[in-house]
Order: sequence, then C-alpha cells, then structure tokens
Amino acid sequence: MSELSVEAKGLTKYFGAFKAVDHVSLEVPTGSIYGVLGPNGAGKTTSLRMMLGIVDPDSGESRLLGGHTPQSVRHRVGYLPEERGLYPGMKAREAIAFMGALRGLEWAEGRRRAATFMTELGLERVIDEKIRKMSKGMAQMVQLIGSIVHAPDLIVLDEPFSGLDPVNQERLETLVRRERERGATILFSTHVMAHAERLCDRIAIIARSARRFEGTVDAARALLPMQVRYTPRTDDPALAALLPAGAERRGDAWQFPIQDDAVEPLLARITASGHGVAGLSIVRPALHDAFVHIVRQVDAGFDADAHADAIEESAA
Amino acid sequence: MSPFLRTLFVIARRDFLSIVATPTFLLFLLAPLFMIGMGALGGVGASQLADSARGAGRLVVIADPGDMEALRDADDRLRDALPGDRPAALELRIAAANTDPVAVAQEKGRDTYAVMSGSLAAPRIVEREAGSRSGRYLALLATEVLRNRAAGAIAPAAPRFESLTRGGTSIAAQQSIGFGAVFVIFLLTLLLAGQSVGMLAEEKGNKVIEILAAAVPLESVFLGKLLGLLGVAILFIAFWTAMAVGGGLIAMTQIDPAAMAQAGAAAGASAPPAVLAVAPATGWPFFIGMSFLYFVMAFLLLGAVFLGVGAQASTVREIQMLSLPITIFQVAMFSLSTAAANAPGSGLATIAQIIPFSSPLAMAARAATDDAKAVHLLALGWQAIWVALVVYLSVRLFRSGVLSGRSDWRFWKRSAGVATAAATAADAAARR
Repeated sequence: MSELSVEAKGLTKYFGAFKAVDHVSLEVPTGSIYGVLGPNGAGKTTSLRMMLGIVDPDSGESRLLGGHTPQSVRHRVGYLPEERGLYPGMKAREAIAFMGALRGLEWAEGRRRAATFMTELGLERVIDEKIRKMSKGMAQMVQLIGSIVHAPDLIVLDEPFSGLDPVNQERLETLVRRERERGATILFSTHVMAHAERLCDRIAIIARSARRFEGTVDAARALLPMQVRYTPRTDDPALAALLPAGAERRGDAWQFPIQDDAVEPLLARITASGHGVAGLSIVRPALHDAFVHIVRQVDAGFDADAHADAIEESAA
Repeated sequence: MSPFLRTLFVIARRDFLSIVATPTFLLFLLAPLFMIGMGALGGVGASQLADSARGAGRLVVIADPGDMEALRDADDRLRDALPGDRPAALELRIAAANTDPVAVAQEKGRDTYAVMSGSLAAPRIVEREAGSRSGRYLALLATEVLRNRAAGAIAPAAPRFESLTRGGTSIAAQQSIGFGAVFVIFLLTLLLAGQSVGMLAEEKGNKVIEILAAAVPLESVFLGKLLGLLGVAILFIAFWTAMAVGGGLIAMTQIDPAAMAQAGAAAGASAPPAVLAVAPATGWPFFIGMSFLYFVMAFLLLGAVFLGVGAQASTVREIQMLSLPITIFQVAMFSLSTAAANAPGSGLATIAQIIPFSSPLAMAARAATDDAKAVHLLALGWQAIWVALVVYLSVRLFRSGVLSGRSDWRFWKRSAGVATAAATAADAAARR
C-alpha cells in the first residue's frame, strides 16, 4: 500500500509553556485500520485535532487523502470527537442527517441512511427519540453514526470505545471492519489495548507528547522477549542451573523471558535433563505489556533527566 | 451552491428550527403584546389623570353684572386663537360686597389658578403661581373687553384658509417619522440581536462545537447562526406586520362608511386621509424598504459583535454578565441616533451616520428628512464592510481563544507564551 490517507509531519503544539505535542508524525496507509495509543494526557487528541485542521499546529503540517489540506477535504472525512456532544433537543434521525448535511450529504439521504444504520446497530427503537432522552451510550452510538453517515474516505475516531458496554463495543468493532471493507481508512485513538490488538494493522504509541513507537502490532509485541512458562515433572532445585538467570519459580512453574534465538537450545537442554515437561508455553507478550514497557521506559527517561538536572543544579 | 454557502444554510436551518419550533418562541413572539398592553394601560391611566385634573381647574372672574356678557364674548373669541394649551375653564361670578378673591382662590373641590376682581380698568388678580399664564390671560380678557368698548363693534376679518398638507410634510413631522424609525429599529435589534450573545455558548455547553469546527469552516458557523437568527427576526417582523395590517383592515370595516364620507365631505372632497398626508422626504415605499435594509444591517452588525463577544463566555452566568455592557452599548447607540434624528444635517448627525454601529439607525432617520437617495447605497456598502470585518475578527478571536482549549483568555499572552517556551527550549539545548 503506497498511498497515504494521512501524512502528518512534525506536528508541534504549545499550550502556554507546556509542549503538549512534540514533533509527532503519522503516516496512515489508505485502506488500513490504524491505532493511536497512549496514556491519558499524552497528546493523542491534540495530535488528531491538528491532523484534521481543527487546531492550527505551532509547527509541522498535515495532509489528508493524497496531499490535500485538511480544510479542502472536509466532506471526505468523518470525525468522532473525544468530547461527545449532540443537540439534546434533536431527534436521533435528524441529528445524524444534520451531521451528514454538514459534510455535504443531502438531508433526505441522511435521514434514510440514519434509519438503516440505527436498525443495523440495534437502535431502531430510538430512531425518532430526542437525544436528551437517550442513555449516554446510545447517544454516543448516534454520534458515531453521524460521523460516518456520509460514507467518508477517512474516519477518525477519538476514544470510540470509552463509555460503551461490551455488546456495543463489539458492534463498533464490526462497524469499523465493515467500513474498512467499503474502502475507508480508519484511524482511532484508545488506551484500551485489546481493541487495538484485534483491529489495528498498524499502531503508533504516543507518550509524553511525542511518538515513541510506530509499526505493526506484532512489531510492538516483538519489542519484548518471549515469555516462557515451564512446569517440570520432577521437583528438583538443581533445575535452576539449566534455566536462564532471570528464572523465577511460581508454584510448580518456572517463568522467565527468552530471546528468539535461545528457544531451541533451551528445549534441547530441558529434554536432555530428564526433568520432563508437565507444561510448557512460549508466548509473545501481549500488546498491553509492550505498551506498558514503552511508556515506562519513556517515563524513566524523563525521571532520569529530571534527576540529572537536579544534580547539575545542585553542583552549580 | 458552493460548499461554504451550503453548510451556512445547514447551520442556519438548524438554528432557525431549534428556536422557532419551541413553545417558548410563542411567548417571545407575543411579548410585544404585553408591552403594548402595559403601554396602553399606562396611557389610559395618565390621560384619565390629566382629564380629571383638567376638569377640576378653573379661572374665576368676579365682576359686575354689566360686564358679564362682554367677558363671556371675549373669552369665546380668545380661547381658541391662543397657541399652546387652552386656558382653564372660565367661571364668572357676580361681585358681592363681601366676596374675598383670596377665599375664592382657596375654595375646596377645584383647582383655582387665578381670580380677578375689582374694576376692569384696574383689576386685582390673585394667582396661584406668580407670573402664570392664567393670570396673564385674565388680564388679556379685561383689556379685550375695554378695547371693545372703546372701539365699538368692528366686523371681524374674513380670512381664506389654505391647507399645506399636499404641498409637503412639515420638518417636525418628518423628524418624528425619523425618530420612529430609529426607535423601531432599536427596539427590534434589542429584542432580537441580543439573543445572539448566548448562541455559541449552547454549542460550547453541549460540545457540539467540536463537530461543527471539524466539519465546516468557523466562518460559516458564525454566518449561519447570524442568518438563522435573522430568519427568526424576519419571521417576528412579518408576524407583527401581518397583525398590524390585519388589525387595520378590521378597524376599517368597523368604521361606518357614511361617517367616513361625511368626514371626507367636511374636510373637502380631495383631502387625503390625515395619516397619508404625512410622508418622509424620500417617500413611503423607499423609506420602508430602506428602514428594513437598515434593520438587517443593524441586526447583522450588532449580532456579529454579540456573537463574537458571547463566544468568549461559556456559562449562563458569564453571558448574563456580558449582557449588561452590551445593552448599555446598544442604548448609547440609540441615544446618539436619536440626537442625530432630532438635528438632521448637524455635525452630530454626520458622526452618528459614520459610526458603523449607529449608522443604520441614523441613516434610517435621514431617509425621513433628506430626499437624497444615492447616499443610502454608500451607507449600506460601508455597513456591509463592517459586518464582514466584525465577523472576521470574531472568528479569529473565537478560534484562537476557545477552540484551542486554552483557558488563558489573555490573547496577547498566547503568542508570548509560545515564544517563552521556544526560548526556554533553546536555552536548555544550549546548556547541554
């Protein structure tokens, strides 16, 4: 996939003296599902807003859908903001049609599609209900439909899963996949790793205002060594000598990380030792662990910097 | 239709419907009824008060029986010819030996403004207020009777009255029309444009502004909101115009045609109805058309300012706080335009016509007194420039202040903050 739906370079934003976003670049291939992950307050939302041209960056630039400025392709973009909001006095069908009309869709067509979408998502009961009478989750689904009702080429969802029950989360995942099949590119931010792991082709991890990782989910997981969980048949303390240095005993099992090239020698050693294998698993750590690892590393780096600065200052 | 215009209309449509399709709008639409009702009640009360006071007032002349007839004749002749308010009713009493004018003046039950007693050549006049018109009038009566007696009866002049009603309206009447236009436009903008203060707070409160800002240019959000509110204003005006015309037609059918014809015959067959005889200098159709256009301009100008100012507020309380200076500003513009309407052609009037926010009001007044028409085109152009400027500035202020999520309202510090941060960063880099 050579074409890019989002091409953001060096986006930087200051809020007063605070650097909220520091040279964040994103390249989202057309037709992919792309996740922007990061802890709370990392700068995800500000990055997305700059990318979409809602906020002007202090430096850097953003191009969408093949080199266009965000302002010139508004009708081809759908956006679900982090702060949800709809006119409480509007009926769901009208609200969806209104959001479509803002992006250039005919009102009548918007109303028609609103009914279709809502029926598909199990919301047919509330099609003609006013927003203020809906639950928060329902209103959020309505807003989500509103942001994709005009069949955009690029869909940007800011924390789409937060506030939804598991059933609706499942529906949303289905919806995202279906939109991708239609040919749309989907970019969403989240701090729930499970969704990203299931959905995303590629992810970017933003922490402390800057992008710390970019690549596939597998590449992120490969940042950490594989984890071995080995349960021998015999209970012999001498076994520890066979295992790598960091091995820990938990109940009957031993746990330790292992490098990719050390797997076969380990298996050979275990078989040769005669302790037997009651249980053995060698797995890649989940995206969750990789994420926590990256964020901790960044935080540690910051703390170390602060520490060094303090020493420097006390010396001076 | 260009995408910009289309989104503008989408916003305007939403705002218009959200305002009009509510029960509270009905209350708003009928609000002038309360105002008219209160005004009518107050007016009736005041006029009743004036009537009863007028009925109670009197002038008393204590004279010999021989002077009575002459005094009554003189009073009949003079009373109608005097300009200004009529003198109070005249009461004639026959002089008796023990009549004390001071006691008469202090009699209970009626207001006695002046009492004249004694001989007509050297009357004694007791008045309630020194130098009052009532005292002078009694003196005039005495003089008139004496003069009549000295000269004998002369035939009164036989004047031929000619009315100027068709030749042109008096300047005073035109100024009144001008003032009326200023007042109506002011009242309508006060009622309607003032609403725009709170309009963006709604979007900010329910976070819809994120959706709008992402989907459409902020300029079209602003203009769309103005347009939607203008639609409401025009609906409001149309409703009341229809009510007025309907009321007028009903009133026409209630008047007896025979009485109308009689009145027409009395005034002369060719005399037009009194109301139509008064006309603004530029003529009624042009004047009404211009007044409407100036209303639109005043509405857009003030509405744009209020929308921009209101966009800085995020809570109802802040909006209420902002409403006061805004109302004061409107009243100031109204006062300026009123002064201008009362002094057409003066330097003050020119100033009021140039200041963009009072210009629509002052120019509407000018259309009533000045028959030049080309100048209105100039004024409309000038005001349109200001509408564009104000919208542009409001959008800038809004974008830089609110949408960036920055809580710091000191906009001059925003760029400074970035500079400081950059300097700090550079400094830190240099130290490494």
